[in-house]
Amino acid sequence: MGVILRNLQKQVPLRRARLRKDVETLRHILGIQKFDLGIVCVDNHRIQQINNIYRKKNVPTDVLSFPFYEDLRPGKMPLPLHRDEQNLGDIFLGVEYVMRQCQEESLDLHGTLTAVTAHGICHLLGYRHETEEEWTEMLQRENYILSEYNRLTGRSLEPLMKRCSQDR
Amino acid sequence: MLKSVVRAVGAAVRLSSVATSTARTLPLSCPTLCSPSSATTRPFTRSLWMLNNNGASSGYKPKLFSSKALNPSISCGCGSLHTEGDKAFGAFLSDEIKEELKIQKNSNLPKMSGGWELALNGTEAKLSRNVAGEKVTVTFNPEIVSSPNFVVDVTKQGAKHSLVFDCHFPEDEVSHAEGEEESDIFAIREVSFQPEGDTDWKENSYTLNTDALDWALYDHLMDFLADRGVDNTFADELMELSTAAEHQEYIKFLENLHGFVKCN
Repeated sequence: MGVILRNLQKQVPLRRARLRKDVETLRHILGIQKFDLGIVCVDNHRIQQINNIYRKKNVPTDVLSFPFYEDLRPGKMPLPLHRDEQNLGDIFLGVEYVMRQCQEESLDLHGTLTAVTAHGICHLLGYRHETEEEWTEMLQRENYILSEYNRLTGRSLEPLMKRCSQDR
Repeated sequence: MLKSVVRAVGAAVRLSSVATSTARTLPLSCPTLCSPSSATTRPFTRSLWMLNNNGASSGYKPKLFSSKALNPSISCGCGSLHTEGDKAFGAFLSDEIKEELKIQKNSNLPKMSGGWELALNGTEAKLSRNVAGEKVTVTFNPEIVSSPNFVVDVTKQGAKHSLVFDCHFPEDEVSHAEGEEESDIFAIREVSFQPEGDTDWKENSYTLNTDALDWALYDHLMDFLADRGVDNTFADELMELSTAAEHQEYIKFLENLHGFVKCN
């Protein structure tokens, strides 16, 4: 298996190969290559629907994560017993929402999607930002991931935690 | 059915005359034909003979040979068969055509964004466009409504071969039935090189099947198509166009059928 990528929307011209490559880089940095991961790119209508169903927030957002392991301690690697458990979960990327943000802030779409995906993967690994302490811990983790990413790729991505607070 | 009855009548008449000379020619499965002496022992033959008669002696007019179907009413002088059934059929078709025209939102086919030119030829529809010297053609059959597929041909200038993608809409096939909705809007099934132009499909060309394909390669192929205008927007518009084209052909067919049934 690996990374299952799905593009369910037509609002944003997505570069699938670029997104997949970036996600593979993130997996390598985090040492989670043996775990399957689902990335589903959706539009505002769809992400709003999911946000409403699962978080009772009837607004679009940039990312929603659905972890396979629900009670993971932040940063603790899951210990799967069977092949079926080598799964981290699914990330829904609100690509239309992210595109609008990038247009407003003159940011690169695919770079921002990578930063958003890093944030989503942190959630799958147990990181939260409900409390100030959790927020700091997650920001530190994202900083590490993206600085490694920037070092490997020559890009300069910033953590989502610094810019966005909509999904707090 | 009428032909078989006539044949049976003929056979029965022949058998009844032959029976008087030799019983051996009669089939054992028809015991009523064996004894030639009395009509009561051959009810089948007699009743069929009577049916074949014009009924002058008995005054009996059998319905079998006086069906209206064999006596058509020639009401328009065209010489063709016009039956009551045809009249009812024609009236039904009139209503059906009216209903279908009501459902048809627009008599014009929806336009595809991206400058695609459409050519419709019965069951084959072709969309084509040129992108910086490359010719991209998408062929599909509007009549295929379940698991529709479309074929994308990409031909570079001066090349002998086209890169051909066999694509389909997976959501129609599996995902909805299983309650899942997370599949790509369209998917590539197979990729191969084919001789450029309208030559026959080369069966012995290596065909890349995407079932067990490396996912990174698959994504590159999808990006390749997207760069040439075959993306999710295109796929959605194609579905609409295909549905509208099929409906248009269906109405045309009904109209032709109506014309044929009414008067050729």
